[in-house]
Amino acid sequence: MADSDTPLGGRPGSAGVNPGEEKAEFLAALCAQVGATGKPWTARDPVSEPVIRAWCDAMADGNPLYTSPDRAAAGPYGGIVAPPAMLQVWTMVGLHLGGPPERAVEDTPSAGVYQLLDDAGFVGVVATNATYSYDRLLRPGHLLTGTQTLAEVSEEKSTGLGVGHFVTTETLYTDQDGNRVGSMTLRILKFRPGTGRQGPEDDTAEERPVRPRPATNRSTDWFWDGCRAGQLRIQACDDCGHLQHPPAVRCLSCGGADLGHTIASGRGTLYSWAVPHYPQAPAFDYPLVVGLVELEEGVRLVSNVTGVRPDQLNVEMPLELHWLDTDDDTTLHQFRPAAPRRRDSTLAAGELEVGHRLPLSPVPIDTLLIVSTALATRDFQDVHHDPDAARAKGTPDIFMNILTSCGIVSRWIGDWAGPDVGWQSIDLRLGAPNHPGDTMTLSGSVTAVKSADGHDLVTVGFEGANSLGTHVSGTAELVFGDLPGGEA
Amino acid sequence: MSRGAAGRAAIIGIGATEFSKDSGRTPMELAVESCEAALADAGLPAEKVDGMVTFSAEQNLEIEIARNLRIPALRHFSMVPHGGGAACGTIGQAAAAVHAGSADYVLCYRAFNERSWHRFGSGVQGRHGGAESFDISFSWTSPFGLLTPASWVAMFATRYMHQYGATSEDFGRVAVADRRHAANNPAAFFHEQPITLADHQESRWIVEPLRLLDCCQESDGGQALLVTTVERARDLAPTPAVIAAAAQGATDDQQAMRSYYRDNIAAIPEMGLCARQLWEATGLGPDDIQVANIYDHFTPLVLPQLEEFGFCRRGEAADFLRDGNIELGGRLPINTNGGQLGEAYIHGMNGIAEAVRQIRGTSVNQVDGVEHALVTAGTSVPTSALILGQDS
Repeated sequence: MADSDTPLGGRPGSAGVNPGEEKAEFLAALCAQVGATGKPWTARDPVSEPVIRAWCDAMADGNPLYTSPDRAAAGPYGGIVAPPAMLQVWTMVGLHLGGPPERAVEDTPSAGVYQLLDDAGFVGVVATNATYSYDRLLRPGHLLTGTQTLAEVSEEKSTGLGVGHFVTTETLYTDQDGNRVGSMTLRILKFRPGTGRQGPEDDTAEERPVRPRPATNRSTDWFWDGCRAGQLRIQACDDCGHLQHPPAVRCLSCGGADLGHTIASGRGTLYSWAVPHYPQAPAFDYPLVVGLVELEEGVRLVSNVTGVRPDQLNVEMPLELHWLDTDDDTTLHQFRPAAPRRRDSTLAAGELEVGHRLPLSPVPIDTLLIVSTALATRDFQDVHHDPDAARAKGTPDIFMNILTSCGIVSRWIGDWAGPDVGWQSIDLRLGAPNHPGDTMTLSGSVTAVKSADGHDLVTVGFEGANSLGTHVSGTAELVFGDLPGGEA
Repeated sequence: MSRGAAGRAAIIGIGATEFSKDSGRTPMELAVESCEAALADAGLPAEKVDGMVTFSAEQNLEIEIARNLRIPALRHFSMVPHGGGAACGTIGQAAAAVHAGSADYVLCYRAFNERSWHRFGSGVQGRHGGAESFDISFSWTSPFGLLTPASWVAMFATRYMHQYGATSEDFGRVAVADRRHAANNPAAFFHEQPITLADHQESRWIVEPLRLLDCCQESDGGQALLVTTVERARDLAPTPAVIAAAAQGATDDQQAMRSYYRDNIAAIPEMGLCARQLWEATGLGPDDIQVANIYDHFTPLVLPQLEEFGFCRRGEAADFLRDGNIELGGRLPINTNGGQLGEAYIHGMNGIAEAVRQIRGTSVNQVDGVEHALVTAGTSVPTSALILGQDS
């Protein structure tokens, strides 16, 4: 990200070309409705367990307070609650019998702005910032109404994606009794495809030499065959069971010549590491992290460690296996930070200090995740499921929507904090998009702790980085200990 | 070297070319020049030489050198494997040969253009395929991008730092000492170019956690040493540097450069094996050593070597360095020629020559009252070490 104001690398205040009179008129039209509030929009369906469950499945959120009636009944809220990160989901427009997923222009001022921008060629769309504050817990049966105000339309900006306008809306959510349950400030960039900075072209990829292939012979073929089959095979002595790596032709423990293999679990820890910077071999991406991995079976092997920046490496960090095809015949074992386990019991007030680090969590991004989470958040924008449409709108492939970025960050923080943690707010800023095939690694730490009345108000600063840069960064405010109010 | 050869042979001649980044000559010219210089130093005519020992990594065959030097007959010739780990091994094998009588005068040598020709630091990027055991050994590291000596050593350095709390600055202290010593040495490539710890900390990453100033130079040059029996040495002009003992070592799931699979990779057990042999053969201990050349292709591996020889306890080398012990005037000045970071990287052979000068009393950084000088050879490979002493 190039600066603090526009996460897509824009330069605030730098209009792309000389703003002519036409441009000024256009901006005036865009801004005509700023400050206007649209018609309240009531969700078609109340908060419900099936929709919660579909969301949790797509986000891989295992918090039992969201889906397990028994566990939830015994929990602090006495029953199922909706994930706070679903706040925006309930009033999403949906498909409406196959119609376009848009609000009527006359009902909502932002829809009119989007229409004007589309007509002027600003058809690309990405969400760039979202701030959610959570005032009351949502339970099955709650029926939400959203009331949106058009807060701001920026002048024309040059961004990494293209020339465009930022549109900021503020939405207030209320329940069926008119109680305020939360709010959202959302900032969207509408941009003109093809006017941004060109990313590195892929045509160099074809000329790129492949990585050094493993040399093999009959004493080691089985190892690389295993890699191609998705098995990390470790040589094992048939006589005494000793495990050894690299393979040999005799058991290094008993001398036996009958050697087979066992299949490693894929779990291990980082025993040591090296980060080559120079010289660089053209087959590799740098910075390149090479780890010496100690498998839980007790043997070590050298492997790349992916999804982690050099400054995030820690000897003894838990790792998990994955695979990389480097050419048609070669598959290499790779490791990445092990997905952290979900806590069953919640951290207590007083347990956290500023500087406490959250566990690194790599999130592999694939088409299934992007599409299933778009659907589970009731977001039917074509850029989240249709690659051709995404390309036509100026991005190389489909990309994750902001509701999912929020959902996955919230799930990771919740897994670390424990199921009973209270949520006050989350603030997200989006940058490099999450496209299929990438991995986003979440990292974060406690940046503030305020103690009062038996609870701690804890601020977590977080970042999710992918191969293109920072996908998401922001802060979340959590409550540990006796929860203050908030019960709807 | 057999136990019986301890103290029975000596280095009587040393000779080197200048050390540079571009010799402008072929490696064979460098090899012949350095051998001629060693013979001139000893005052021995070439026709007396009847043995030659070098590295298996050496590209200048002994027969071609013998042809150029008009050596009429070679009775002993051998090569020691494993790169810089061979250095003291060549002297040990020469000493054994002259003690056994299989040769009378043995030249040990190493010469190359490893900066201006093939760059040593570039590693094994081009190495693909093959089905021999040595080819296979690269399969466990090269596909993952560990392609250079610096990258192989970095893995040990990270673990050492983790296990014992050493820091990049601790590694830097080795570089600072080497360069300070090199600054006084007109033969050193970095003559009059000392560095500070801040220079070290500001130098760029080569392979984290190794910085540029943790890495030895790629050098052009040659170094030769002449070995004979102590008795024959006494008939020649220079002061004999008696080979009190020399030892080689390979142990504990030994691999070449990548012994990553043994219990403790923050130690160098093959150097420990050499140390035990040297102490046993000589009856000496760490307190009997006044000066040392500790192999310094990369600074981090200097630390566990000090521990393997007992100059400090396991894991405490960083403290030993912080206390200034490796500087001139310290408990154990090391690499008084500037080492391979400061003088030149001649695969450890120039370090042996410096130990000879310390015994002779002719070093530019002469340590007072040197009775015994220790030299170690390349680490992270099967290695070797030796102790030189005065002729009593």
